[in-house]
Amino acid sequence: MASRPTVSILGADGKATGATEVLPKVFGAPIRPDIVKHVHTGMAKNKRQPYSVSEKAGHQTSAESWGTGRAVARIPRVSGGGTHRAGQAAFGNMCRSGRMFAPTKIWRKWHVKINQGQKRFATASALAASAVTPLLMARGHQVATVPEVPLVVDSASFDGAAYAKTAAALGLLKAVGAGPDVEKVKLSKKLRAGKGKMRGRRHRQRRGPLVVYSAETDGKDLVKGFRNIPGVETCPVDALNLLQLAPGGHLGRFIVWTSAAIKQLDSVYDSKKGFFLPNSIVAQSDLTRLINSSEIQSVLNGPKGEARTKRTHVQKKNPLKNKQIMLRQNPYASTFAKENLGSIKAKNGKPLALPATFSELLLEN
Amino acid sequence: MSFINASSDLVWEITRSQNAFLVKRKSSRGGDVQFSRDPYNLLNIHSRTHAGYINEKAVGVVANENGGVQVIAKKAGFANKPAAGRSTVTYGSNKTSRKTFKAVANQTAKNHYRPDLRHAAVARASALRISQKAPKADPERKLRGNAAKRAAATAENKRWTL
Repeated sequence: MASRPTVSILGADGKATGATEVLPKVFGAPIRPDIVKHVHTGMAKNKRQPYSVSEKAGHQTSAESWGTGRAVARIPRVSGGGTHRAGQAAFGNMCRSGRMFAPTKIWRKWHVKINQGQKRFATASALAASAVTPLLMARGHQVATVPEVPLVVDSASFDGAAYAKTAAALGLLKAVGAGPDVEKVKLSKKLRAGKGKMRGRRHRQRRGPLVVYSAETDGKDLVKGFRNIPGVETCPVDALNLLQLAPGGHLGRFIVWTSAAIKQLDSVYDSKKGFFLPNSIVAQSDLTRLINSSEIQSVLNGPKGEARTKRTHVQKKNPLKNKQIMLRQNPYASTFAKENLGSIKAKNGKPLALPATFSELLLEN
Repeated sequence: MSFINASSDLVWEITRSQNAFLVKRKSSRGGDVQFSRDPYNLLNIHSRTHAGYINEKAVGVVANENGGVQVIAKKAGFANKPAAGRSTVTYGSNKTSRKTFKAVANQTAKNHYRPDLRHAAVARASALRISQKAPKADPERKLRGNAAKRAAATAENKRWTL
């Protein structure tokens, strides 16, 4: 690519400052939903806490099988008498008060190791996808009012902990056109279905914009300002996280960058030793352009037949009533009509009277 | 689309199985139907042609608040500038249907915009116009059968005698 695309930097009022920034190289990384999905699935598992049923559950009885000959199943049965429990089946997963099938163990394989190169590829891919507007829309972000994607806000406006207060932070998001996305999150808050309600996951809601900042230039005060806005998350540019860049494994998170963060992005990737930004295998993925390219068109055969659409299922028209149809079927009709041939009298008037001999000859017999 | 590494075709392949606009429902004729909630989708059907969010040129017809229809369209070349890339043309309720449809058809199909969507755009505008008409009042119920007529007659007589 001869010239790399640039992105304009917005001021705190949402208007372009006039300054532009060359888009970091990572935005040219290939968009690979398969890799992102795979890495996300693994990463999402690494925060889990082990759980299991009690080791003793269903086994706190001295049941023994009665053996054969008592006309009951050979399942272990609770011994003794004097209570309803005596003689009831125990232990089995099909029994009341029995243990579950394959009791869960805390030594289940909870975590998944993901190769670092793969993780970096996925992060680069998710970043690249965050600059593609249709992917943002397909993820459900409300970006109709956003002036430009990727959305970059001037770091100068972050000076002096300007967004340490939530009201100011919300004001910034509204000014740069991210207001509808925040509003959507606010309205989306719903009570979670199922047991999660009593396990610290009472509500569920959409994700809003992600604010990516440079901790060195922008400071960390903005984190406090943004953290209580529903759906909005913050992330320092040198610690980008795939779980935030592609929530649910779906590409296209709406990101609000600070200009310092986007400036720093190239150096962040340069500093990753042994990692080179991936290149697309296919340079041109636009099928229409491929098909219409001179390379393809030059080796294709020309179209067969004449340039005419075959008319099928056309209505039959009456040539006696429809002049155009008549002309198509009978080219002579125009001359016929023009010269009034239909109304010309026969030449020489009436035919001559037959000679008398004619009838004589005719009736000779 | 003017993105470095993405084209409409690529985005369609990424999002055709899942996206925020997609609505899947069971069909009574067996199988599933796939609809779309995309405002730039004229048929509300999940398909490559009608998916407005991926195509650089796309048309949507929505109801205007004060009657009439509004045609929203994407400006070509504004793929990464969503706010500036949206054009809105309103055809009010005072404009005749014929003129509205002609304008909608021209806007959709002329200048190599989206001639393939002309019919769908006009059909949607027409459906919106019809839906904006005040519904006709139900005709008065006719009396059916002799018994009903007699009952009505006695009721009438009673009214006179009172």
